[in-house]
Amino acid sequence: MGEWIACEQNERISEWMSLFLDGLLDADRERRMEQHLNACAACRAEWQAMQRIAVLFAESAIMGPPLGFAVRVERRLAERVRERRRLFGGTAVLTGSLSLAGVAVAAVGMVVLSVVAWQWIGSFPAMQQGSSAVSQIASGVGLMGKGASLFLKDLLLRYGVPVLLLAGVGLTVLAGLWAWMFCNRRDRSRHNGYA
Amino acid sequence: MQAEQAWIEQALKGDRTAFGQLVRAYERPVYHLTYRMLGVSEEAEDAAQETFLRAYTRLSTYQPGRKFVNWLLSIASHYCIDRLRRNSRAPQLSLEDPMPPQWLSSDSDLPDQILDKKQERDKVRDVLGTLPPDYRAAVVLRYWYDMSYEEIAATTRSTESAVKSRLHRARRMMAAQLQAA
Repeated sequence: MGEWIACEQNERISEWMSLFLDGLLDADRERRMEQHLNACAACRAEWQAMQRIAVLFAESAIMGPPLGFAVRVERRLAERVRERRRLFGGTAVLTGSLSLAGVAVAAVGMVVLSVVAWQWIGSFPAMQQGSSAVSQIASGVGLMGKGASLFLKDLLLRYGVPVLLLAGVGLTVLAGLWAWMFCNRRDRSRHNGYA
Repeated sequence: MQAEQAWIEQALKGDRTAFGQLVRAYERPVYHLTYRMLGVSEEAEDAAQETFLRAYTRLSTYQPGRKFVNWLLSIASHYCIDRLRRNSRAPQLSLEDPMPPQWLSSDSDLPDQILDKKQERDKVRDVLGTLPPDYRAAVVLRYWYDMSYEEIAATTRSTESAVKSRLHRARRMMAAQLQAA
């Protein structure tokens, strides 16, 4: 390497060597390169090394895959297609569950809000009995809240614990199923088809 | 070529048997590239398999005007470059490659010939191993696939001047390694 630095033209000449090996060096530069190589030992050594590499690569065999490669690809492809379908199914189930949970939460939220509004408005009788639009809306909300409050009270007293338990277990099972499918997919993607 | 086009069209419709024909037709050039890039037969097989899986999922992006094998080699070279970059960040367990099964299965080779082949294979791997991943891809595509600068640029998604520069620098690095050995 030290010798190479000694040659000021080395960078340019080695670029020409590379072009020559690819058949892209014109005749004039080829002649100048030859002249330089006859005079410069460092560049000549580099040129000989480049030629040896070309010979080494030309003589090395084209590698083919081990027997049964195509079968292993087909197997892995079939697995991946199956996994995608499963993952898509899992995503659909999860999305559906989340949507249902969202609707349920929104409904419960509305009921709770109505109950709170009914109690709050109840402390202002003038607002409930007036004739303005605000009073009428307040009165309507108050009635809804009263109805919801009575319904919820009745529902929770009769079925509260089983309903909450069932919803909790259902959501846990769905989340567990989805997590299992996701982990399983990751394990399979690392497998390249050998037993 | 007509058979290839028919297989592509059938595979696009979801026919995995037709895609299997494409795999059989091009497994050799794809595997050879991944082997020269990664230097370890097991990793090469995994990369070649992954190349075909990606080709299957991206088949709709293949442009019929382009050589199908070059499109596959493009996927393979990008995958190998990414993999080498990832590996360079992760600790290496072993660089030793056991004898590839395709050589062990050969009945015609004498033990000396097997040893010669192994030595030659190690030498090629050592020389290529000195190069950064994108230089290595340019060298493999130039020497073993006889691609022009234009084809290498299209395959590696770079420019012709970048390819010219990579090949020049790669040759200097490999020559230095050979002289130092």
